[in-house]
Amino acid sequence: MDMLGMYPTFYVPGIGTAWVMGIIGVIHVVASHTSVGASFLFALLETKAYREDKPQLMDFIKKYGMFLLVFSYIIGSITGPGIWYAITVASPRGVGGLIHNFVWVWAAEWVYFTVEVIGVYALVYLIGKVDAKTHLKLTWSFALASWATMLLIVGILSFMMWPGNEAWYQTGSTNDAFYNLNFFAHLGTRTGSMVAMAAVVGLMVASRLKDMALRRSVVKFLAPIGLVGGLFAVMMFLYYLQTLPNNAVVMLNTHLLPVYARGMVAVFVTATLYLVFAWWKPHRLYTSLTVAMFAFISIVGVWPEERMRESMRKPYVAGQYIYGNQVIARDVPGKGIVGEVDKIAEHGLLKLHPFVPDRLRVINDSNRLEVGRLLTKVACANCHSLEPGTPLRNIPDKFHGATDEDLIAAFMQGPLKHGTQPYMPRIDLPDEEVRAIAHFLATVNSGKDVDHLIAEQQKLATKVAAK
Amino acid sequence: MDIGTVMNTMRDPAGVPAHPVLFQGLMILTWVFHIAFVHLTMGAAALAIYAFHRRDKGEYWERLSMALTKVAKVGVSLLIVLGVAPLLFTQVIYDPQWYASNVLSGRWAIGFIFTLIIGYCCWFTFYYANHEGAKKHAGVYAWIALALFFLDGLIMHALSYQALLPDQWMNWYAPGGIVDTSGSALHAIQWPRYIFIMSLSLPAVGVFLIAYAHYFASRADREQEYQAFARALGQRLATWGFGVSLVPMLVWQFIQPSASGLMLHPVGWLLVAALAAMLVWMKRLTAATHGYLPVLGGLGVLAVLALWREVVRVAHLKPFGYDITTYTVHVDWPSTLLFFSTFVGVGGLVGGFYLTLLYRSGRVQGLYTAERSVARLGTAAVAILVIWIAVFLAYGITIWVRNSFV
Repeated sequence: MDMLGMYPTFYVPGIGTAWVMGIIGVIHVVASHTSVGASFLFALLETKAYREDKPQLMDFIKKYGMFLLVFSYIIGSITGPGIWYAITVASPRGVGGLIHNFVWVWAAEWVYFTVEVIGVYALVYLIGKVDAKTHLKLTWSFALASWATMLLIVGILSFMMWPGNEAWYQTGSTNDAFYNLNFFAHLGTRTGSMVAMAAVVGLMVASRLKDMALRRSVVKFLAPIGLVGGLFAVMMFLYYLQTLPNNAVVMLNTHLLPVYARGMVAVFVTATLYLVFAWWKPHRLYTSLTVAMFAFISIVGVWPEERMRESMRKPYVAGQYIYGNQVIARDVPGKGIVGEVDKIAEHGLLKLHPFVPDRLRVINDSNRLEVGRLLTKVACANCHSLEPGTPLRNIPDKFHGATDEDLIAAFMQGPLKHGTQPYMPRIDLPDEEVRAIAHFLATVNSGKDVDHLIAEQQKLATKVAAK
Repeated sequence: MDIGTVMNTMRDPAGVPAHPVLFQGLMILTWVFHIAFVHLTMGAAALAIYAFHRRDKGEYWERLSMALTKVAKVGVSLLIVLGVAPLLFTQVIYDPQWYASNVLSGRWAIGFIFTLIIGYCCWFTFYYANHEGAKKHAGVYAWIALALFFLDGLIMHALSYQALLPDQWMNWYAPGGIVDTSGSALHAIQWPRYIFIMSLSLPAVGVFLIAYAHYFASRADREQEYQAFARALGQRLATWGFGVSLVPMLVWQFIQPSASGLMLHPVGWLLVAALAAMLVWMKRLTAATHGYLPVLGGLGVLAVLALWREVVRVAHLKPFGYDITTYTVHVDWPSTLLFFSTFVGVGGLVGGFYLTLLYRSGRVQGLYTAERSVARLGTAAVAILVIWIAVFLAYGITIWVRNSFV
C-alpha cells in the first residue's frame, strides 16, 4: 500500500516541542554568540598587550578566558547538540532533510568544533606557559576558527527560511541551498550581535578589575567595539528583513512585530546607552548592573529574535519544501523529491501514515474523538498546543472557543484546504478526517474532559469487541 | 504495515550526497574517538572520586584526584564534540531508526541535554573545590555528576538499542492500539551491552595513567615516585579492567538473537580475544614498554568494538530488508570537497598546531619557546584559516550573485 515516510509524534502539552526547542536554542545562541565574539575581543586585547607591552592585560585575558571557557564550553557545547536532539524529536523529517542536504557542511563544522574545543583549553592553559608570539597565533587562529563555525551554520539556518530562488529546487546542489538569498544578511546580523554581546560580557569581567587604570583601558577599548557591532547588527537585520519570503513578512507584520518590536527597540537603545555610559565613565561600571544588562539582552533581545526567526519560517521548517507538520510541501526535482499534499488529500492521513493503529484507521462513532485528537496532533501540534490558554498559539483559543463543528470544519475546508493562509500549511484532508478533527476541537472547546471521554469510549469499544 | 517497507519509506527523500558506505566508515571511525573519551572521562571521574576519598592515605592520592578531576573536565568537552560526528553520520544512513527511537523516548532525549548540563556544572563545582585540604562534602557534587553521566550513558544506550528493534516501535508507540505521544519511557535496555561498554572505563583510565606517567617522565620537576605510583596503579586498573569487562562482553555475546548468527560471528569473538590479549599484556607489562603503547592497544580494542556494533546493527536490520547500500545517492562534489579539505587543512594544520603546542609545552619546565617548526606550524594555522574564510566567502558571493541577480 502507498504510504508516507512519517514518524511517530512526540507531543509536549502546553508548550509543544517548539518551545522546548526555543528554550534550548536561546541558551545556545547566547552562549555561542558570546563565545565567538569573545574570542575576537580576546585576540584584539592580546594583540594590544603584545604590541604595547602591557602584560597586565594578559591577567585580564586569563580571567576573561576562564569565563569564556566555562560559559561557552559547558553551556554552548552541550546545547549545540541539544538543539539537534530537540529538533529531532520535534521535526524528525525536517532535521532529516537538513542533514541530507548539508551533511558535509555539518561535518566540516564538526572539524572546527573539535579544533575549537582543543584550542580553548590550549588558549587558557598556555597563557604564560608559551612564548607570547606563539600564543598570539594560537589566539588568532582560535578566533578565526570560531567565526568559521558561524559561517557554516548560518547557511543552514538561512536555508531553513528559504533558498530565495528556484536554483536549489532544480539542481539539488548544496551550493545553491547554502548560499541562499538571505545568507549574507543573516551572517551580518549574527556577526554584529556576537560582537555586541561579547563586549557586554567583557564589561562584566572588566567591572571586577580593581586596577582602575587597567579597567579604564579595557573598557575604553571594548565599548566602542560593542557599539559598532550593535549598530552593524541592526543595519544588517533591516537588510535581512528585505530578503524574507512573503509568508514571513505577513507573519512578521501581523503577529510578531506587534508583540516583540518594542522590546527589541528597547534592547538596542538600552544596550547602546549602557555602552556609551561605560565608555564615558568606566569607573562607574558595576558588575551587578552589567550582569542585569546581559540578562536583559538575552531575555528581551535574543528570545524574541529566535522566536521570530522560528515563527517567520512557518508553515515550513526547511527550505520551503517541508511543512512543520512533516509533510513534504512541494516537488524538488533536483533531488527527486515529490510533494505529498495531494496524495494526502486523496487518501487521507489515516491510510497513509505508518504509525496509526489499525483500530483508528477507520473512523466510527466510538473512535471519532480519539482519531480527531491523533490527527490534530499529527497535522497541527508542531506549531500549536491543543490545550486552551496555553502559550504555543493554542488552537482552542484560535477558534475563540467555538463549539460549532461546522464552523471549524468550514475553516479547514476553506483556507486550510486551499492553502490561502500564508503562514499555515496547506492541509487538505478527506471529509471524514476533517469532521473528526472538528469534533475533537469542538469537544475541547466545550470544556469537557476529553481524555476521560476517550478513555470511556476505549473501554466501551473493548467490551463490545470482547462480546 | 510491514515495518521493513515503512523504514525504507521513512528514509529522507533527498537521498545521500555520497556513497552510503563512506558515511558508514566515517561513522565507525569517528565513534572510536568519541567512545575513547567517554571511557576516559568516566574512568577518570570515578577514580578521581575514589582518590578524593583516599586523600588521608597519602598525598599521591590527593594529587591524583586533582589531576583526574581536570582530565574528566576536559574529557567531557571532548566526548561531546567528538560525539557530534558519529551522530551526524548515523543520521545520514540510519535516519529512520535513530529518529523513531528518539521520538518514542522524546522526554529522555531532551532530558539527556539537561542532565548533561547539570552533571557538567556539578563536575565543574567539584573541580573548583578539589584542591589541597578540600572539604569532604565537595565530593557530593562529584557523585551527582558521575551518577548523571552514567544516566546519560544509559539514555544513549537505550536510544541506540531501541533503533535496532523496529518491530517493537508500534507496540511502544501505541500499546494495545492506544497512542501515547508522551515519549516518557525508555522502552528497551540491553544491560549486558550497557554494562560492558561502561566497564571499559576502568581499563581506559588504567592505560591513560601509564601514558600519563610516561609523559611527565622527562620533567625533572615532577616527582619520580608519584609517576611510579601512577604507572603501577594504571597497570593494575588496566589488568583488572580488561578482565572484568570480559564478563559482560561474554554475556552480551551469548544473548544475541540465535537467528542472527551473531553469537558465533568472528568479529564478536575477535573483540573477546582482543580483551583477553590486553589483559595478558597488561599483566605482563614491563617498565621497558613504551608508555603510550597500551593506549594504542586500547584504541585497537575500541576499533573492534565500533566495528562489532555496526555488525550487530546490520544483523538486526537485515531481516527487515533495510540495507544502507540501497539508499538513493545524489553525489554532491562541492560539499564533499568542503569537508575533506577542511578535515585535512584545518584539522591537520590548526588541530595539529594546538596538539603539538600542548604536548611540547607540557613536557618543558617553565616557559616553552616554540621551535622553528612549531612556529611555522602556527603561522600556517593562521594562514590556512584566512585562506579558508576568503575562499568560502568569495565562492559564496559568486553563487549568491549568480542565483539571486543574474
